[in-house]
Amino acid sequence: MHSLIQLSIVVLLLPLLSFVILIFFNRKLPRRGDFVGVGILGTALAISLYMFWTVIVQTYDPAFKLAWDFTWIDFGNVPGVGPLEIRMGIFVDNLTVIMLAMVTLISFLVHLYSTGYMAGDKHYGRFFAYLGIFTFSMLGIVLSDNLFSIYMFWELVGLSSYLLIGFFFEKQSAADAQKKAFLVNRVGDIGMWLGILILYSQFHTFGYQQIFDNLAAGKFTMSNAWLTAAGILLFMGCVGKSAQLPLHIWLPDAMEGPTPVSALIHAATMVAAGVYFVARIFALLTPDALHVIAFCGALTAFMAATIAITQHDIKRVLAYSTVSQLGYMVLGLGVGAYSAALFHLLTHAFFKACLFLGSGAIIHAMHHEQDMRWMGGLRKHMPWTFATFTFATLALAGLPLTSGFMSKDAILASAIGFAKVEGGGIYYLIPVLGFFSAMLTAFYMGRQIWLVFFGESRTHLKPAEEHHGHDAHAAHGAHHGHNDHGHEEHHGVHEVAWNMRAPLVILASLSVFAVFSPDPLDGAKGWFMHMVQTPETVVGRYTTEHASANLSAPSALMAESVQAEPAHHTMTDAVPAANPAHGATEAGHGESAEGHTFSDHRQAELAHESHAAHYTAIIISSIMVVIGISMALIVYAFRIINPEKTSEAIRPLYLFSFNKWYWDEMYEATVIRFSIVLSKMLAWFDAKIVDGIVNGVAIMTRNFAFANGSFDKYVVDGLVNFTAFFVNTTGAVLRKLQTGKVQTYIVMALFAVLGYFVYYLTKLIY
Amino acid sequence: MEQLTTIGINHYLTISAFLLGFGLFAVMTRKNAIVILMGVELILNAANINFLAFSKFNGGMGGVMFSLFVIVLAAAEAAIALAIVINIFKLFKSVDVSSIDSMKE
Repeated sequence: MHSLIQLSIVVLLLPLLSFVILIFFNRKLPRRGDFVGVGILGTALAISLYMFWTVIVQTYDPAFKLAWDFTWIDFGNVPGVGPLEIRMGIFVDNLTVIMLAMVTLISFLVHLYSTGYMAGDKHYGRFFAYLGIFTFSMLGIVLSDNLFSIYMFWELVGLSSYLLIGFFFEKQSAADAQKKAFLVNRVGDIGMWLGILILYSQFHTFGYQQIFDNLAAGKFTMSNAWLTAAGILLFMGCVGKSAQLPLHIWLPDAMEGPTPVSALIHAATMVAAGVYFVARIFALLTPDALHVIAFCGALTAFMAATIAITQHDIKRVLAYSTVSQLGYMVLGLGVGAYSAALFHLLTHAFFKACLFLGSGAIIHAMHHEQDMRWMGGLRKHMPWTFATFTFATLALAGLPLTSGFMSKDAILASAIGFAKVEGGGIYYLIPVLGFFSAMLTAFYMGRQIWLVFFGESRTHLKPAEEHHGHDAHAAHGAHHGHNDHGHEEHHGVHEVAWNMRAPLVILASLSVFAVFSPDPLDGAKGWFMHMVQTPETVVGRYTTEHASANLSAPSALMAESVQAEPAHHTMTDAVPAANPAHGATEAGHGESAEGHTFSDHRQAELAHESHAAHYTAIIISSIMVVIGISMALIVYAFRIINPEKTSEAIRPLYLFSFNKWYWDEMYEATVIRFSIVLSKMLAWFDAKIVDGIVNGVAIMTRNFAFANGSFDKYVVDGLVNFTAFFVNTTGAVLRKLQTGKVQTYIVMALFAVLGYFVYYLTKLIY
Repeated sequence: MEQLTTIGINHYLTISAFLLGFGLFAVMTRKNAIVILMGVELILNAANINFLAFSKFNGGMGGVMFSLFVIVLAAAEAAIALAIVINIFKLFKSVDVSSIDSMKE
């Protein structure tokens, strides 16, 4: 076993150790064992960073790959299934190493931060235990080399998020949110499992590499529609976990969990698992499946951004922003911008974790006030938080010199290239939605910064009746008497302690462009885009057949791709020739990471067009961001446009956004009501029909038994009794004959003989 | 008259019938067990006369032989029956058959 594999197993198991220690012994340890969690995660972080150093910095090879696996369960040849052998293993490549470092780093920072934020909570120790099991599950997803084990860790992540969202389980809303998250995730997981089964039924293996090899060898025997279906079903897992349309509804509600959890799970890592998973199976996604993914991501990005602009809760804005950014990542994968999407995953993880931890610091300092309408003026009181929060905001909005700018623009450039390759039309909706969302992102983040940090404090404006029942008050009651802010009066707002400040600073500094690329305008020059390169698709041969099969297909969408088909072929012939030419004309981009050629025509075209659209994307998105920020300043800073009056003027639109596009209501009216009606019908069916049958059988049996009993009692027993009675009566009569007197017997014998004679003579005579 | 003067089978049978009648009468009416046994002897002898009469008028020695057997049998029967009577007397101190009814019911 390679030493890096051994190290990665150690990294994987360390958080589990932390979980086991803390869940059983946290009450026996000093400080409820928080140092165990922080210490173990620190160790894991150190090992991960060592691996990062070895692989990314020293080896610096895009093709770096390590795999190790063993047979976990061997069922032999199962009848009706074929050979069934489940293997477990570790797969380490550049992406894995980067993810390991990212997950352990953020997890460590969140652990550290929680020692401040969660101080005084009555389940303090258990919180760290849950963080441990979560980190373990997430690392499992990252290190898995096959679909089976990733599915197991996937469910473990679901469990951890369930536990952490409902951490304040005494609160009804938190208990509801945890159930909602779990159930909504189940919907996606069912699809994912079906997708896994489709692939398994074909290849009898769960391993990524084996599946890819089989696909590349053309061993997929079902129709190509099944391959697309498998891709979309696997993507459903991502829809659930990464909160894409239409299963995004759980994530904003998950903000009921403690804020460090929101940072760790619902911004940086767990929701990224969906994107990571799609990246792992990227090679087997057919163009049709990728189209579905791209549209899903674009719509999600746009929808969540429109919702975020009207929310009042500081965490809810960030939650919708997360959904929106995840939409970007999924969009990126859908348009084939593999590296860009994962780049955005990484950059987003840092600045979004920073934003959530910053919002946690604000909430902490504001005594669990989460409504931005009652904040304001915090920059004077919390300079550190203000600085880091603002920088992360700029990164999220995508301003130059930040990491978010590079990753988001790489995605948007690919979206433009994608639309061109697909032949325009409806496909331009994807970049348009992307750019529009970028503007909205800048707007709502500007709004948030202004409402929270600038202006005068509006705490006193808060209506008195809203003081009660607000988030976390009940569960965090103990906090109010907490040592370092029990003084002053209610308005006593001050900077948080070092253990909460340090993570903010580290995360904000990781959002600077220089961490990822020397050129602030082009992420493709950085190490990330070099180390994580789009894998060669393994379904090219299927899609070619698919395109020719399209000729007979009646569907309008397919007809469109048929029209595009001749263009495809001419284009693809031209590309190998055009690529070097392109490189020659734009010499500055010759060493671009996307420059390596693909054997698949479609991928080659996408890479080429994305590259060509790079500066277009930068210009458009910068304009959009500037418009967004200016709008926010105009509305909230200079108050040239009064937000209240504007929202009144466009009240239906405002309400549509404020009520989150009525998704919850729609589910309430359709799925939930339908489920309830169905459940009631089933309950009725159970109570009346099933129970009726059971009871009917019981009644029938009883009646039959009764009839049978009666027969036994009256007929059988009657016969027996009658026999006895008959014999008794006869006996009683005959008994009289036995007098014991010899002479009587003789007389009887005589009469018998005489009788015989009489009979005999009578017969003789007549 | 000839029928009366010549001794024929009817005479034998008539005597035999009388003897049987007496025997039965004795058996049925007498209370003394000894007398009943005597009745039984009469019945047996009535049968003997019948055997001999039919033997005579039919020819052959079958009836004679049979009656000899009956005589022997009667002797044996008398011996056994008397032994039984003695035992009954020992038990009941009586040979009155009407009082010996312990086999009733």
